[in-house]
Amino acid sequence: MADQISDFSQYRALVVDDFAAMRSMLAEMLRSYGARNIDMAANGKEACGHLSVRQYDIVLCDFNLGAGKNGQQILEEAKVRNWIGPMCAWIMITAEQTPDSVHGAVEYQPDGYLIKPVNAALLFQRLGRILARKSAFAEINTKLKRNDYRGAIAMCDVKIEQEKSNASELLRWKSQMLMSIGEIEQARELFEKVLNERDVAWARVGLAEVRQREGDFEGSCKLLRQVIADLPAHVKAYDLLAQGLEKLGLLEEARATLENAARLSPNSPVRQKNMGELALRCGDVETAEAAFRKSMAVGENSVLKTPDSYIGLARIMGNRQQTEEASRLLNKLPQTFEDTAVHIRAKAVEGMIYQKNGQDKEAERVAADLSGMMKNAAMHADSAASLEAAELFFSTGRKDDAVALLSDVVRNNPEDQALMGKVSQAYSNAGLTEEGQIWMKQARDDATAQMNEGVLLARDGKLPEAVASMRRAVAAMPSNVRVLLNCGHVMLLSLQKRNDPALKREALEVLLTANSLLPGDKRCTRLLNQLEAMD
Amino acid sequence: MQPTAKPDLTTFLASSAHDMKNSLGMLSGLLEKFLDVHSESDFSGYKDLASMLYETRRINNDLMHLLTLYKLDHKLYPFHPGCVSLADFFEDLQVQNASLLISRGIELAFRAEDDLIWYFDEDLILGVINHAVNNASNYTQNRILIAAEVVDGMLEIRVEDNGQGYPAFMLDNGHSPLGVDFNRGSTGLGLHFTRTVAALHKNKGRSGRLLLQNGGSLGGGVFIIQLP
Repeated sequence: MADQISDFSQYRALVVDDFAAMRSMLAEMLRSYGARNIDMAANGKEACGHLSVRQYDIVLCDFNLGAGKNGQQILEEAKVRNWIGPMCAWIMITAEQTPDSVHGAVEYQPDGYLIKPVNAALLFQRLGRILARKSAFAEINTKLKRNDYRGAIAMCDVKIEQEKSNASELLRWKSQMLMSIGEIEQARELFEKVLNERDVAWARVGLAEVRQREGDFEGSCKLLRQVIADLPAHVKAYDLLAQGLEKLGLLEEARATLENAARLSPNSPVRQKNMGELALRCGDVETAEAAFRKSMAVGENSVLKTPDSYIGLARIMGNRQQTEEASRLLNKLPQTFEDTAVHIRAKAVEGMIYQKNGQDKEAERVAADLSGMMKNAAMHADSAASLEAAELFFSTGRKDDAVALLSDVVRNNPEDQALMGKVSQAYSNAGLTEEGQIWMKQARDDATAQMNEGVLLARDGKLPEAVASMRRAVAAMPSNVRVLLNCGHVMLLSLQKRNDPALKREALEVLLTANSLLPGDKRCTRLLNQLEAMD
Repeated sequence: MQPTAKPDLTTFLASSAHDMKNSLGMLSGLLEKFLDVHSESDFSGYKDLASMLYETRRINNDLMHLLTLYKLDHKLYPFHPGCVSLADFFEDLQVQNASLLISRGIELAFRAEDDLIWYFDEDLILGVINHAVNNASNYTQNRILIAAEVVDGMLEIRVEDNGQGYPAFMLDNGHSPLGVDFNRGSTGLGLHFTRTVAALHKNKGRSGRLLLQNGGSLGGGVFIIQLP
């Protein structure tokens, strides 16, 4: 018999169901198998309250919870907000066999489904099996938690040899990790090896993803069309195919493909938003509007809701000269999204809508607001927000604000070619093509100079000065990966001379930031390992 | 005024089948609970209850098959083959069929090589084997064997019993479209479902299939599904 866990006394469990009788029945079942720490929740709000403060090993969650969040949305929120780790066993209890949620993205799937009425023996069999499998993956998870992707992949290889029954699952994990750290070649070898033995859907789709990353969109679409012909309910294949078709410029076909995906799985705010954007590009404003509205509606209780659907809809209203409605919608964004970059985008788009409708006074007022907002250190603009804000600043005569913002984007991302293209486009749109090139070069040189200062100081053995200089560089360019890595490197040199726990923590934080921006980068992994090896 | 669009009858069929299935699931859950705490000696209606459970499960299986076929037809069924340990698969079958078989005095045995793992859609194949077991429970004398082994690169799951076996016209080949026998109460749905599910499983140019035979190790009917 396969490994199984039958004693649940050391596990903490959460039971989520809107019916009190069902809750106590499930809790009673857990108790009869030894569980002692059991919390209960009647709705999404209560469940999130528990999940945000306690680590659970087991969650039994009813899918349909009446008004508010459904079970799938609670699971998504718990995963996105890191309330539960990969070791938590989540069982979704459903009334039907195949709810739409079954088609959710892989990373948001529960570990198992149980169909009502819940049979105690079956519940514990499934639960025991899931927990046993998770403990087999525990060592890999420990490495993943420390963002040590390469260590986790090496551990996968060890486990694949040891545990035949989990080999397929482990290979799939390994392929996902390889893709996320950009080891495309290795991922391709893995997919091809798996496919040599069996026509496995995830490997076929994985191979199509590899082709897209390599720029072979024709080849990718061909593979995906075959997958869909064999498995017409494989939602991820549709999503990926739509992306590929879009790259090939086949917009109508891309749109039809996304519509099929949305028919299979209508509750994804992001897919609905993508549909809206595609419809707009096809010139179908009506469909776009419907899709953006649908995205907002299904996103209402979802952590996966996206500001892009609000912004897309506001732009449509702006084009119809409904400026008041547009700005009312945009003013909802700060309450709906915590991310301050979204607040910046909302203002920028509002200003541009006024400007395009000839309401210059209003546009200037909004631009002044935005300029004040962005001087507040608590507001973090990402590059999308910076580009949108710069557009408004240019068109309302705030050239200095715009150039400062764009220079910041350049300093933080000098190696991102696509983004640099957008920055020079922004300058061209403002009629500043040549000046823009000069400013961009200045920003790049500026970044290099700041970074080199610290490295040169370190080379001359002036380590305290080098660390101080790198700190300033990181403060000025918090998302420039090269700056972060050099900073970590200089701090490591200093630590090798003289141990300093506070500096060690600081170095770790810097390197983890770099790792989250560019997961699994070889140099970053090496520096992290060196840092951890120090005592 | 626009005339109201006439609702599509098949949608109603599907949604009501769905609704009925939920009620039947509840009903068989309750019957199982009752059968588990009683025995033939302490409750005179025990045998009748056992028959009720069999009939309930039969309808439930039929509805599940109808619903799944409907979803497959409308390209809505999420076909998810994955690696399944046959040991785990047998445990699920054991749990799901224990009440029925104990109440009918039938002994259920499993036979498979240790660590046998195959690639298939667990839910669909559970549906197939549950149907076969339920069916066998009506025709066997007192024994059912579920066996799994790899034959010529295909996984073969067999449900064998020690009853009279299948009538001659149903045996073969696996190509006859429907094994319909109204005298025996067979509409052919279960077999059609099995053939559809088997054919859905494809690998390297080979598809799954269904075989019905007589004999086997228990001398009765043998229901075989082969999966590539």
